[in-house]
Amino acid sequence: MVTIDWTLLSQYIISGVVIGLIYSLMAMGITFIYGIMRIINWSMGEFYMIGGYLQYIIITHFLGVENWYLGVLLSMVGVFLLGMVVQGLLIKPMFQGSVERRTEYATIVTISLGVLFTNVAVIGAGPFIYSPPGYYHGTRILTLPVSGTRFVAFIGTIVLLSLFYLFLKKTWWGRAFQGAAQNRMGIQTAGIDVFRLDQIAFGIGVALAAAAGALLAPEFYLHPRCGSIATMKGFEIIVIGGLGSIPGVLCAGLLLGLIESLGAVFLNPSFRDVYGFLFLLAILAIKPTGLFEERERVA
Amino acid sequence: MASKLSVQGVTSGYVKGIDIVNDVSLEIQEDAITGIIGPNGAGKSTLLKTIFGFLHPSQGKMVFNRREIQTLSPFKLKQLGICYVPQDINTFPRLTVEENLMLGAWTFKRQRTLLKQRLGEIYDFFPVLGAKRGEKATFLSGGELQMLAIGKEVMTIPELLLVDEPSAGLAPMLVSEIYAFLQRIREQGVTIFLVDQNITKAVEVSDYMYLLEMGKIKKQGPKEDFEENIRGIIKDSLIAE
Repeated sequence: MVTIDWTLLSQYIISGVVIGLIYSLMAMGITFIYGIMRIINWSMGEFYMIGGYLQYIIITHFLGVENWYLGVLLSMVGVFLLGMVVQGLLIKPMFQGSVERRTEYATIVTISLGVLFTNVAVIGAGPFIYSPPGYYHGTRILTLPVSGTRFVAFIGTIVLLSLFYLFLKKTWWGRAFQGAAQNRMGIQTAGIDVFRLDQIAFGIGVALAAAAGALLAPEFYLHPRCGSIATMKGFEIIVIGGLGSIPGVLCAGLLLGLIESLGAVFLNPSFRDVYGFLFLLAILAIKPTGLFEERERVA
Repeated sequence: MASKLSVQGVTSGYVKGIDIVNDVSLEIQEDAITGIIGPNGAGKSTLLKTIFGFLHPSQGKMVFNRREIQTLSPFKLKQLGICYVPQDINTFPRLTVEENLMLGAWTFKRQRTLLKQRLGEIYDFFPVLGAKRGEKATFLSGGELQMLAIGKEVMTIPELLLVDEPSAGLAPMLVSEIYAFLQRIREQGVTIFLVDQNITKAVEVSDYMYLLEMGKIKKQGPKEDFEENIRGIIKDSLIAE
């Protein structure tokens, strides 16, 4: 007879929830940009990486590790501004005027941008792995002993996602973003500069990736390719949850974290990532548009 | 009566070299309803999209309140006082009725008193919107959605309202309600430029009419000229289709 160690099981469940939620931050950025501009930003991992490096520089050279939260904020602001500039210079021109296949061009631009940023990081930071000091001492979430950094990242993610939710639901700009995601012509006839919204949305999306990078920097180490795992998880989450769906991101993030975690307990921890992919394949087979596909009324 | 908008020799289209609107000139008089009719594919909607900055003319110019506007973007034109109700239902399906109307008030979003007053005025005229203010737009009927689409655009109290096919697909009673609303805001000093395939209704409410065919103005004159020959115009429209 198989006996289950409930304490151990609960630890893995909590661990899955923690990591799933943190990955959701990345997925939220991807889905937000897609929701507004209908483009996939393939360089999200590189903005995650830049967020991590910025955080490292800020807390090791300027503010000190005790001010890590200010570092996260400043990293987000820095990457937000970088995203605005990149969007304004490279993507916005394709959306003004009647350029055909603009989303395809934008895809190529974001892939190229990722390659560029990775190589700039290789040149700038060299072939070294950096690790900022942990943000907080080890602690417990219910039955789970967690590293201080992961705990902080978990709380930080909850705070950021809550603020993001409030921003979307309770502010004029948030309503404008919701409107732009639902009807771009409607936003323009309302007198809102939709290209400005695109630019800000891109900035916010990459700032969320930077937040994930900055929060997880001490846990997963920094190197020029450090964003690739988070990006992969982010894309898995948006496919599972349904592209463009914010509730879908949260639900899929938690499910992915749980499935990977429980698969590691009950099957084999070496194939942790495989369980997530199998879940993704199952969703694609059963409900290809994702768990939270947002249906439009067709007149 | 002064001209509110002057369209002078405007040519425009969606693809370079293929002109849908061809050297069109017209005057939209202040505080009046100017109607434009014509068969499908005549370029009526394209003309409205050009005036509202979704398309920029390859030739010609447009003057609104003595200012050239042919290079301006839609949001700039809205700030100048031009509003546009497109042919397709132009609401935000997953926002509530009130949120839809509030987005229509973006240009004066910080003036809370005015915002509240305008919401009240829209709800007074379309009580069904007031009753459903907390419901998401996706749950409204076709007629209610059209009321919301028009209400959202006139939240700003336009100087010039461009309306494209407001009666398309609506029951006759709702059509009358929409037209009554247009006439009421006209009485409040809003200049209206109306595109409609419902020729009888368009002629009935308009003060001056244009007939557009194959991207060119074929006939123009006061409504009386069109009323006299309305059967012939409808017949020509059907043959042109």
